Amino acid sequence: MNYDCIIIGGGIAGLTCGIKCLKEGLSCAVISSGMSALHFSSGSIDVFGYDEQSRPVDNPFNYIEKFTALHGHHPYAKCGPDNIKEALFFFKDALAEEGLELHHNSNENHFIISTLGILKPSFFSQRSVYNEEIGGVFGKKSKIAFLNFDGYRDFYPDITIANLKKNALFKDTDFISGNILFPDYGSIKKNPFEFRSVDIARIFDTSRYLEDIAKQIKNKAAHADIVCFPAFIGISNFKKHHEALQELTGKLIYEIPALPPSLPGMRIDNALKSRFASLGGVFIAGDRVISGVIKNGMLENVRTANNMNEVLKSHCYVLASGSFFSGGMTSDSASIREPVFNLRVEYSPNRGDWASDKLFDKNSHKFIEYGVETNDSMNPFGADGSSISNMFCAGAILPHYNPVKDACGSGVAISTGYCAAKNIVNRIKGSKDRK
Amino acid sequence: MINIDNISFDHCIKCTVCTVYCPVARATHFFPGPKQSGPDAERLRIKNPELVDKSLSYCSNCKRCEIACPSNVRIADIIQSSKWKYFKKRFRVRDYFLARTDLLGSLATRLSFLVNLFTGFFPIKFLLEKFLKIPSKRIFPKYENGTFHGWYKKQKKHQENFKNKVIYFHGCYVDYNHHELGRDLIKVLNAMNIGVLLTTEKCCGVPLIANGYVENARKNALFNISSLGRSVRESGLRIVTTSSSCNLALKHEYPNLLELDNSAIVNHLDFITRFLCMEFDKGNLPAMKPMRIKAAYHSPCHLERMGLVMNTIDVLKKIPGLDLHILHSECCGMAGTYGFKSEFYNVSQKIGKELFDIINKASPDIVITDCESCKWQIEMNTPYKVMHPVSLLAMAIA
Ligand SMILES: Cc1cc2nc3c(=O)[nH]c(=O)nc-3n(C[C@H](O)[C@H](O)[C@H](O)COP(=O)(O)OP(=O)(O)OC[C@H]3O[C@@H](n4cnc5c(N)ncnc54)[C@H](O)[C@@H]3O)c2cc1C
Ligand code: SF4
Ligand code: SF4
Repeated sequence: MNYDCIIIGGGIAGLTCGIKCLKEGLSCAVISSGMSALHFSSGSIDVFGYDEQSRPVDNPFNYIEKFTALHGHHPYAKCGPDNIKEALFFFKDALAEEGLELHHNSNENHFIISTLGILKPSFFSQRSVYNEEIGGVFGKKSKIAFLNFDGYRDFYPDITIANLKKNALFKDTDFISGNILFPDYGSIKKNPFEFRSVDIARIFDTSRYLEDIAKQIKNKAAHADIVCFPAFIGISNFKKHHEALQELTGKLIYEIPALPPSLPGMRIDNALKSRFASLGGVFIAGDRVISGVIKNGMLENVRTANNMNEVLKSHCYVLASGSFFSGGMTSDSASIREPVFNLRVEYSPNRGDWASDKLFDKNSHKFIEYGVETNDSMNPFGADGSSISNMFCAGAILPHYNPVKDACGSGVAISTGYCAAKNIVNRIKGSKDRK
Repeated sequence: MINIDNISFDHCIKCTVCTVYCPVARATHFFPGPKQSGPDAERLRIKNPELVDKSLSYCSNCKRCEIACPSNVRIADIIQSSKWKYFKKRFRVRDYFLARTDLLGSLATRLSFLVNLFTGFFPIKFLLEKFLKIPSKRIFPKYENGTFHGWYKKQKKHQENFKNKVIYFHGCYVDYNHHELGRDLIKVLNAMNIGVLLTTEKCCGVPLIANGYVENARKNALFNISSLGRSVRESGLRIVTTSSSCNLALKHEYPNLLELDNSAIVNHLDFITRFLCMEFDKGNLPAMKPMRIKAAYHSPCHLERMGLVMNTIDVLKKIPGLDLHILHSECCGMAGTYGFKSEFYNVSQKIGKELFDIINKASPDIVITDCESCKWQIEMNTPYKVMHPVSLLAMAIA
């Protein structure tokens, strides 16, 4: 089987790249060995959240223009400002076609509330996390309720409230906290160890308890303008149920992304995969690319763990296998490597530099910035030092940026995935024109 | 000393992603899910086998958890082997027979008329439910009169005359319940100038594994490895299968669960659609007439686990005129013998509901799938006829 493009890794970078390739008329397969970092993310798309002094960035696009002029290695510098914006709105439209809307505050960041009551800047959020109405309520003299489900152990409203009270933005806010009883809790309780937001979401997705929950919300948070919960509104009926719940209660319903697996992240994963499949893409789940043949500056084929005696071929390849967390990068006591093709990796040879002694260091850890070195067209370099012209890297596998400290992970993944696709389209169309 | 065969549980980062994608955990809270029953509980079990929890038996071995896990933990393997290692053995007539599809098949194909009549007869079903705990609502697969092997005898000479040939591991289902699929395979391959040979085979062992008869499964596996291995050595031919679960057993369960060396066959083994893809790529594409029908394709869990779904889709796309709809990947809930057990019947039906709904919504002319147990489940729960991709090809070739 021959494809125009084989993408290794089905996270946000790989899938954005795949959808763009398919839209341009290329044939495309994604091979992905396990679920991606989306299952651990907030589900909001960070573009650029903090500047070099760790102060929140207001307008990420303006900031990126200034920043990349000084930092030519940053992946955003390789995309260019126009492509970044084009990529992000392409991504937004792709999700919208699957019924998942992303909201944004024109060209500015908005903030999202974490379970611990910390405010974090982000650019795109789902309708239960940011929209114009929500933006209007926060920071005014308003009443905000934080409710939890009885028995749910990953969220403590009083901690969230205590931390929010320290923030000047909420100095005029009245807080209410409380619990509501999830109607099916009796049966969930049989298995108390796995009472996660996904369990609640599954049951809520059936529509059975919509009215019951709405009634309890009205009781517990009678005077609140906005009611915040750990994310619980399901996946397939998310929009419908969010709307219905707001209508039945007459209140804004806000979701706080809870501990993984993250529901808002899974909504995005679901929508991307379904968009990819409906455009005719082939998604091979649960298989791992284990090797490839590189000859004369080209990747000729790849092999997967499940089908060792057959090679897969395509014109172009994208490596979007993520960072250490997803297995795109590995390390041992002395070196850091890209495990599949042994591509050239950017890292400090001095092991002491890799990580800070403090686990939650404000400046994050250095290893997060290590990854596969590329040229300006995002081609990596093989073991012999020469670039591989039909292979492109995208997403968390790239070096020279820090998704944690700068809050730019998804934005970089989307932009680089999109630009990789554009480079591939140019390359394939160019070679067809020449023929 | 702690005996640690599969230490992949140590790679678990406790992210719970597996549990999110487990169809059984989604359907019932009586099953704690793959994370808890697999890597979490394994730590306790290897220290003290008394700590084994009965709820393990809910796992249907669909392997979806392994596909989802970002850390490559062999969760389903851990759970299956715990079932055998730590459960107290208890004889159950039902499980004894469900596990032995070959024994049941060779008896039933001799009296197929009576068997088919009886298993469709309500009072009998009532008794089966009462005494054997086989759900009376379950519709039984029909048995053929005689075996596929028997039918093939007259074909043998002709098939041997082809220059190019393959060895076909047909499995119990084709042998006892559905000769047509075997005949369709011969028709398709013959149209591509490839002859089909059989060798001696025993049940692949999947139902034995599922019902806890590990030693019997091992015996069958050793027999198959040696019989197929010998044929491959002598002829140098490739082995093809049409059942995704047989294929998974030969390829994955033999080394990983039964701890047997299958290197004599594993590199010569192809699931049929993969074999066809490779032939098509070489230009060996049979002449086909346009099929103006709407087909909905359901990908079986075990084919997903082997990363072979793309091959089947590729083959189907080669059929001219076919209006192909690829259904969102969901477990049908049948899981081989799982859906034949009263205690799991409701769970099995609840799992499948999502799939039945999307099939009904697609409203196709036929449903296509590579697995016989998915076929039983879908035919019982939707109004559609379910066909194997090979049978659809055979129709296009006729
Ligand atoms: C815990 C965590 C929380 C985060 N939270 C946020 C957030 O709230 N907002 C935000 O904007 N960003 C967040 N980020 C950052 C951002 O999510 C990531 O940078 C981004 O998702 C990376 O996407 P990716 O597609 O590059 O890689 P990944 O999502 O890591 O996907 C890589 C995929 O490739 C697969 N793979 C790896 N090797 C192989 C192989 N050899 N063969 C086949 N497949 C392979 C993996 O299994 C995985 O599915 C977070 C990151 C992490 C780790
Ligand atoms: S094999 Fe299937 S049923 Fe068993 S734990 Fe894994 S996902 Fe659940
Ligand atoms: S998905 Fe894998 S790593 Fe995550 S909890 Fe399950 S077994 Fe552990």
